[in-house]
Amino acid sequence: MACIDRWKSLDVMANAKPRSGEVGLALSIAQREASLETEGALIGALIEAFLREVEARAYRIAVMQIRDRHEALDIVQDAMIRLVRGYANRPREEWAPLFYRILQNRIRDVQRRRAVRSRFVSFFGGTASEEEHDPLAEAPAPRGDNPLEQVTADDAMRALERALAQLPGRQREAFMLRNFEGLDVAATATAMGCTEGSVKTHYSRAVHRLREVLKEHGEEHWNE
Amino acid sequence: MNDDNVGSNFERRTKRAFDDSVAALDAATRSKLTQARHRALEEQASARDRGWRSSLVPAGTVAATALVAFLVVWQVTPPVPGPQETASLNDLEILLGEEDLQMLDEEIEFYGWLEEQPEFANVDSVG
Repeated sequence: MACIDRWKSLDVMANAKPRSGEVGLALSIAQREASLETEGALIGALIEAFLREVEARAYRIAVMQIRDRHEALDIVQDAMIRLVRGYANRPREEWAPLFYRILQNRIRDVQRRRAVRSRFVSFFGGTASEEEHDPLAEAPAPRGDNPLEQVTADDAMRALERALAQLPGRQREAFMLRNFEGLDVAATATAMGCTEGSVKTHYSRAVHRLREVLKEHGEEHWNE
Repeated sequence: MNDDNVGSNFERRTKRAFDDSVAALDAATRSKLTQARHRALEEQASARDRGWRSSLVPAGTVAATALVAFLVVWQVTPPVPGPQETASLNDLEILLGEEDLQMLDEEIEFYGWLEEQPEFANVDSVG
């Protein structure tokens, strides 16, 4: 990389011959600058790859919980910025649990705000109909490769979303992080801010409850 | 088929359904997600820039402190007097010394007598 080459050339210059204090200081500063540039560029490339990998999945998880595409996009962007701003220098293996923790916190903030708004509106005799879930609006766009197969997949996902909506919040979070995102128990515990034992309990109950709900709604094929 | 195995199949199905729904995201949404990622990375670039500048702050602070300390010491320390100045100060001390003035007052008659002695007068003329 260009930065590394520059750093090496500065290192050669720095060790080439005795130098005066000013030249030494200037070289040290230049070396430090090159070193920081290299490190920053490397972290930038790694974190970009990480965000590219998780962004679509994070968005789908946010949409499933928030039921609003624009707000879900804002939440994902905010989580990305917060991760980059506050935790880019942390070890890479910590990024996923930290990112999902930020994401879940933002989702909970929005849900709390909505609950307060809904109570406020109902107190004055209004309705919060604009907050209602619109399944058509939330439906993913068809891929176009095999329409019949796609419709079946969309139906399956909608049924799963409906079932997930009936779970308690912590069980739903545990299921999404463990099953959809593939985080291990420890990372899920970090993301949820609870113990690993709690994660296991929430996840186990979530799976059990989901299977029941899907069966109740005639979705037998999930359990085959 | 035991219950655990059913659970595993169930979990695989739910995972596949989610993966399919992610893969089915439309181009417009993907584009917005890309823009969001770029905004976050711009934040990282500017934070890196701020970080580099902030790393210069300690070095600048040390240099400024050293300069101020030097100037303060240079101003406060009294200048070393030269030889002429030292002599003048010594004379002044002798003149202002209370004890010496008293001695001069008491023995002035002795100095008058001493001046009248011929052997001392010769010494002065020789010198």
